[in-house]
Amino acid sequence: MPTAAIVARQLRRVYPRAPPGVAAIDSLDLEVPSGGVYGLIGRNGAGKTTFVRIAATQLKPTSGTLEVLGTDAVRTPERVRPRIACVPQESRPLYFLTVEQAARFNLQLRGFDRRESRRRTTEVLEELSLADVRHRSISRLSGGQRRRVMVAMILATDAELLFLDEPTTGLDPLARREVWAALRRVRREARTILLTTHYLDEAESLSDRLALIEKGRVILEGTPAELRRRVAYPFRVTLRGGFAREELDSFGRVSSVEDGFLVFAQEPAARELARLALERGVQVALGPADLEDIFLEVVGRPIDAEENAPDDGERP
Amino acid sequence: MTTSPRWRSVLTLIQLNGLVPIRAQPLYLVNLLASPLSFLFFITIASQGRLLNYGVAGGMILTMLSVGTGLQSDLTHYRHDLKFQDVIVASPVTAPVYLIGMALSEFVYSLPGMAVFLGLWVTMGWANPASAVVLFGALVLVWAFASTLGFTLATYFEDVRETFMFSPLISLGLSVLPPVYYPLAALPGWAQVVARFSPTTYAAELVQSAVGLAPLDATTQLFAWLALFGFTGGLLALSAVRARWREP
Repeated sequence: MPTAAIVARQLRRVYPRAPPGVAAIDSLDLEVPSGGVYGLIGRNGAGKTTFVRIAATQLKPTSGTLEVLGTDAVRTPERVRPRIACVPQESRPLYFLTVEQAARFNLQLRGFDRRESRRRTTEVLEELSLADVRHRSISRLSGGQRRRVMVAMILATDAELLFLDEPTTGLDPLARREVWAALRRVRREARTILLTTHYLDEAESLSDRLALIEKGRVILEGTPAELRRRVAYPFRVTLRGGFAREELDSFGRVSSVEDGFLVFAQEPAARELARLALERGVQVALGPADLEDIFLEVVGRPIDAEENAPDDGERP
Repeated sequence: MTTSPRWRSVLTLIQLNGLVPIRAQPLYLVNLLASPLSFLFFITIASQGRLLNYGVAGGMILTMLSVGTGLQSDLTHYRHDLKFQDVIVASPVTAPVYLIGMALSEFVYSLPGMAVFLGLWVTMGWANPASAVVLFGALVLVWAFASTLGFTLATYFEDVRETFMFSPLISLGLSVLPPVYYPLAALPGWAQVVARFSPTTYAAELVQSAVGLAPLDATTQLFAWLALFGFTGGLLALSAVRARWREP
């Protein structure tokens, strides 16, 4: 087995009707190791879906090289396809099938015999709490249930590399955690998952490594802990009153929040500020910055801020 | 007996897109029956019964064409609205397997129409081995042509509404203007030349000849078969190169 599931070098994709000079992904270098969950995070339009579609052999790159599971995925996609499976962004199962049929037919399409397909289907529907609705038509399911069926269809396969493009969008917190548990099970099977998500807690909780994509390029890559270490202010201090803003500027980057301030700082400064706050009797919380904070610091905008460029899932 | 993975995929597509939806909504079966029977009705009334024979022969060709236009709409909808093609592309299922499986699944919808027209075929006294062979061959080639056309176009359309625009144009170009429901000689000279650019013209000529409506000599029959094979083979080759299985 190759040590890297995906190796992209200088990958670039320009959509045919994009404005001049606008690339959905540009000079993208990325190495996704074999085994485990690799998270891709970024805002809408950052290039995540374009990358997933290229790696899943659904979209040709304009230039660059791409190896998937040790095979040239640009020139010989047919050798990659039997070994991968994908939940595309905004995909839905065929609505006239039942839940059980959607999962089982997908396995039969991939070559599993009827008995094995039934066995795997039963297992995955149990795992994702869909067993009770197994005979219900997809058209009668909620949006979240439909999304879970898509995830079930793909997790039930034996693909070595799974692409999950925003698989938990629209799921309630309980259902999200069931999907997380299923993904952790797949990770234990030494398979590789490439996960894109807007939920930074999800990316942090599931991913062994992460890449932050902005404007078609990887701007930060590593384990969640490494990402924290690489940012200028890896600690956050939350203060409820008791300070003037000018007093805080020397500690790090300051943002106003309800009833106080959020200060991102290096560890010594963060500890010093927390000590000072305790001395003044100010309510204070000190902790490591989470992925959302890191995103905000690196990109300068929250993850849910829209990019002006066309959505990366859009086909012009 | 074990089924090979490719055939299992084909059989699953027939079940998934043909048998299951029909079992859930049997009215689907009437869909592909309506257009050919409507044409037969109008042409028979308008010709005061003189073109009934041609209408029966042409009805089966139109039914096979309808398989292609139905496929075009289904595949566009699945690809664009459900991202089904993206799921299939990232799997062991190849484009030819998908095309064959989905085309056969659409054929299932045409079975009631084919049964009606075959019944009329027998009633006309046309049932004999020679005409059956010609009919079968011509219909298979029209089905292959129409399905390949539907599949290829579906990989280009970005909205299912585009299929609403193209389907009538395809019907017009392949079943109304060509002499599917009437003899080629009924067309003016220039229109006969234009009709030669449609594979259904050759299919209709062969079927009409096989049942004795407009007999062709051996050379013309051979040319018609070659033309029909040429159109179908050419479109298959074009589809292999130009269909957007992986988005360019």
